[in-house]
Amino acid sequence: MANIKQDTMPVIRDLRDFDQRSGNVLERLVFNYRPLFVVCMVLVTLVLGYMALTRLELRPSFEKMIPQSQPYIQNFLENRKSLRGLGNSVRVVVENTQGDIFDPEYLDVLKQINDELFLAQGVDRAWMKSLWSPAVRWTEVTEEGFQGGTVMPDNYAGAPADIEQLRQNINRAGIVGSLVAKDLKSSMLIVPLLDQDSATGRGIDYHQFSRMLEEKLRVKYEFAGDAKAAASGEEGSGKYKIRVIGFAKLMGDLIDGLIQVMMFFALAVVTSLVIIYLYTRCVRSTLLVVFCSLTAVVWQLGIVAWLGYAIDPYSILVPFLIFAIGVSHAAQKMNGIMQDIGRGTHKLIAARYTFRRLFVAGVTALLADAVGFAVLMLIDIPVIQDLAITASIGVAVLIFTSLLLMPVALSYIGVGRKAAERAMRIDTNAADHRGFGKLWDMLDLFTTRKWATGAVLVATLMGVGGFLVSLNLKIGDLDSGAPELREDSRYNRDNAYITGHYALSSDTFAVMIKTAPEGCLNYQTLVLADRLAWELQQHPGVQTTVSLVNAVRQITAGTFEGNPKMNSIQRNQDMLNYAAQQASVNAPELFNTDCSVMPVIAFLKDHKAETLDEVVAIADKFAQENSTPERQFLLAAGSAGIEAATNIVVREANRTMLLFVYLAVTVFCLFTFRSWRATLVALLPLVLTSVLCEALMVAMGIGVKVATLPVIALGVGIGVDYALYLLSVQLHYQRKGMSLSDSYENAVAFTGRVVGLVGITLAAGVVGWAWSPIKFQADMGILLTFMFLWNMLGALILIPALSYFLLPDKRSGAVAAKQVETASTQAQAQVNPQIHPKFEACAEGGLLKNQR
Amino acid sequence: MGSFKKCALLALGIALGSSLQGIAQAGSYVDVLDLPAKPSALAVRSPLRDVAQAGQRLVAVGQRGHILYSDNGGKDWQQARVPVSADLNSVHFPTPQQGWAVGNDGVILHSSDAGASWNKQLDGRQIGERVLAHYQALAAAEPANETWAQYVAEGQRLVDEGADKPLLDVWFADARRGYAVGVFNLILHTEDGGQSWAPLQDRTDNPQSLHLNAISAVGEELYIAGEQGLLLKWDAAQQRFAALPTPYQGTWFGVVGKPGELLAYGLRGHVFRSGDGGQSWNQVETGLPVSITAGAVDARGDIWLFSLAGHALRGTGDGAGFAVVAQEALAPVAGVAQDGANQLVLVGERGVRTLALQ
Repeated sequence: MANIKQDTMPVIRDLRDFDQRSGNVLERLVFNYRPLFVVCMVLVTLVLGYMALTRLELRPSFEKMIPQSQPYIQNFLENRKSLRGLGNSVRVVVENTQGDIFDPEYLDVLKQINDELFLAQGVDRAWMKSLWSPAVRWTEVTEEGFQGGTVMPDNYAGAPADIEQLRQNINRAGIVGSLVAKDLKSSMLIVPLLDQDSATGRGIDYHQFSRMLEEKLRVKYEFAGDAKAAASGEEGSGKYKIRVIGFAKLMGDLIDGLIQVMMFFALAVVTSLVIIYLYTRCVRSTLLVVFCSLTAVVWQLGIVAWLGYAIDPYSILVPFLIFAIGVSHAAQKMNGIMQDIGRGTHKLIAARYTFRRLFVAGVTALLADAVGFAVLMLIDIPVIQDLAITASIGVAVLIFTSLLLMPVALSYIGVGRKAAERAMRIDTNAADHRGFGKLWDMLDLFTTRKWATGAVLVATLMGVGGFLVSLNLKIGDLDSGAPELREDSRYNRDNAYITGHYALSSDTFAVMIKTAPEGCLNYQTLVLADRLAWELQQHPGVQTTVSLVNAVRQITAGTFEGNPKMNSIQRNQDMLNYAAQQASVNAPELFNTDCSVMPVIAFLKDHKAETLDEVVAIADKFAQENSTPERQFLLAAGSAGIEAATNIVVREANRTMLLFVYLAVTVFCLFTFRSWRATLVALLPLVLTSVLCEALMVAMGIGVKVATLPVIALGVGIGVDYALYLLSVQLHYQRKGMSLSDSYENAVAFTGRVVGLVGITLAAGVVGWAWSPIKFQADMGILLTFMFLWNMLGALILIPALSYFLLPDKRSGAVAAKQVETASTQAQAQVNPQIHPKFEACAEGGLLKNQR
Repeated sequence: MGSFKKCALLALGIALGSSLQGIAQAGSYVDVLDLPAKPSALAVRSPLRDVAQAGQRLVAVGQRGHILYSDNGGKDWQQARVPVSADLNSVHFPTPQQGWAVGNDGVILHSSDAGASWNKQLDGRQIGERVLAHYQALAAAEPANETWAQYVAEGQRLVDEGADKPLLDVWFADARRGYAVGVFNLILHTEDGGQSWAPLQDRTDNPQSLHLNAISAVGEELYIAGEQGLLLKWDAAQQRFAALPTPYQGTWFGVVGKPGELLAYGLRGHVFRSGDGGQSWNQVETGLPVSITAGAVDARGDIWLFSLAGHALRGTGDGAGFAVVAQEALAPVAGVAQDGANQLVLVGERGVRTLALQ
């Protein structure tokens, strides 16, 4: 390793010996007016920090998580106001663990809960249903006609006779399975929510509503006031259990999860502190690196808040990534400055030297990262586009904080002397094949025939194996319950309980039948709705279907004294009108006010992609065969309908996104290396990582979904950094005529630590997510960690091995002769070890020229 | 640019063509009377309304034109070929091969292969015309009789209402002679195995045109049960269905029994027994508040009744009353048939089930 040459920039101990006018415009602007620059940065930070503190909101938005321009979703959004049954409601189940619902004490607790919910803000009281609601009635056909009453006896006083009456009424009302559990141990309160609070005119605050449910109901009745036990997420051991499902609760739990995830940020900061300290052994520079990176996060959040974006479970990824990318860039700056100071250069001059060497290279590296983010704009899902935009903002911010503020701050603060000397020592040791040198020697083995063949063979085997496994990759969510949360979360356990004890699942797939006003009462429309329902029921994944037809059939039979033979759709319009009028009282959710939209709702056993695809295929075929301009069958609403549409978009987006990200990275590499062979060397390890990532998803039961889409793009976009770091230096040496082995060893000695640092800091930034209560974040965390680390390993091992085959000595010499050397006016044999290797050619042509 | 335009036009053309084609294909609504029933594995678990014996075979009918038959006591069922997808309400086989099924929309189906395949003899779109023509002919023959004018008007009403004519029950004495009954006193009969059907509205003691819910024979006698306490019995001398004194003003869902013991059952657990062919009645306590919707006599001569909630009631044998028979799970019963010595086959909202006899 004798080839590692010293910095070409002169060691200047005294500021007076330094030419203030040297360096490019930007450098002079920033460094010659350091105080002004620092004041500006502090002011901007304060303003943006204030913005972030006052304006930033946690707002998981349902609309943003769905693909807005997918035709099914557009159908849904156009008609959502008409779909009351699929609207926003919360289902609260009160379970008696020590008996059944025919327990006066239970009924009393149920009444208190009923009253509590009835008075809660945002509740659409008129449509609330429970055993205590006057709207919950029984009807019976008698000799005199229909007879009925409230299910809860009028003068209920808890006496045994009252209980007996209630028992009879529940049977007569036929609400076992809907409002009362099949095992009679629990009953349900259906609490529809208002779109806008009548008092405030604003949309309901899900977090507040969810907190209210926790505090006023769960803590009080399930945990006897023990808030701490309630917060544990375990179930209470008392007599009653409160189980809550519904969109509002899910959103509330997601926000709680987000707050928890924000705590992980502290973990990422601490991990970074440890990593940087281990890397530098210098307290003040470690703190400075982290401080600068935090500044970037403050800026990013401030700008995001200023532009009116909110933090959602996806965009919360951005601060983590920005922090990690910021740390790795800042650490490189510090590393450079440290070495200059170690050699004796004044700290200000060292800072300026580092700026000269690394600014362009840093910007280019950030551009490479931006490619990964930018590709995400192609996905027609607002959360992902928001993620792309906010991440781009973050990357832009990094130019100011990590590339400008960091060296300026270092020019004031400097680094510890011991640390600076240690940095020098490490490099010297490495050059003497000690310390890191041993590791570099080992990696260099991969440029030899035996090891290269082995590595490529193993990689090929892994690639083929991974590919075979990845063929089983599923689209969509694979577990039951709310896919956003973990399977064992309280919400999903409640959901499982409710699915198990009540008749209808929470996976609903609805086809909307749209007609002219009053059209849903049309005999033909009802017959077609019935046929559609029957077609859907043929699929084994469909538990049952519900539509206005069910109500019409039942009411028709009712008018014939309950004769089961008249459980039918009659052609008589008066009969149909009467049935619909009755249905508007008993089941208003089955059609809209002017009877122009009615959903046919299929309750699915699960929301696996195959089930959804097949159900969609059935519904779509029916819609195509039966839709007319006057009577349209529109897919799709309901949770499973939206998920089906999302799956369709995700499947499509997964392919286009991979295509575009690889296209972008290929262009980027071709432009940088000007060699298709080198481009192959850079890309093949990334392809292996992408394939293995998909295999990992299969192994871990993670499907391709909105949350995992960005992962591969980010993995490839950021992963190409490693190859750029390593390969550009290696090529540089090869083009100078050095052997592959020497070139690689030089490259790895210069950049191996940087590659390691970047890989580890990025992984450390996101690994904490694996413990997120939000399932898709955990999935993202695991996959990103894997990609960041595996890309690093792949780069260090496969680049030399592939180079052995693709960039053998003579060829690279020819390539070099063709391009770089002729282009460069500076045919120097020495290389600067601190130059960000990625764009050394640029640095030589640009920065170093300026310096002369 | 030119080629771009051409491409765009071509694309537009294709899009228009396909959407036009889509419209042409779509939306051609096919009526339930013209749309054959679809085979479905779910049919056996879906709403069925009646079941009958065709020799050793069981034949069940239900919603959406489903007709199922079983040759092994209800274990396995095949779905028959049926030319309509209207809801079917009743089935009867006077001989092992010849059978009839009736349903909503006035549909009458006939099978001559023990229920494996069916053809349509009549539907609601023709009934009005038949009734009208029948009574117009009678009115023309007997212009002085003003009652015929009423029946002509009634026939006109049936024509105007179109296919909306639920037939609720069918009964055949043999392969030629049978009756189908339905709502608003609709009654048709045939003397030629369904080749031609004629109305019989003028031969019922039913001045209020009450619904006729069921028709069945007990011994040698033929009874019709209807709403608001209507009970009719075929009077061969008068050649009409004559009213019986009724002990109850609610709806009857049917009559069942054996010579010397006649039971009428109906709304809210009401069951009455007559030992004299319906001339006098005694109430039988069932203790149930739910409607009794089906009844049968088993191979040993015990009488069974079934409720809309699924209760099974067995006659105590002395004619005094009924006892509820315990079952594992209740499912509504709309129709019942005897099957061999050991079981009854029940059908209802949730399809087929069997009840073993001890």
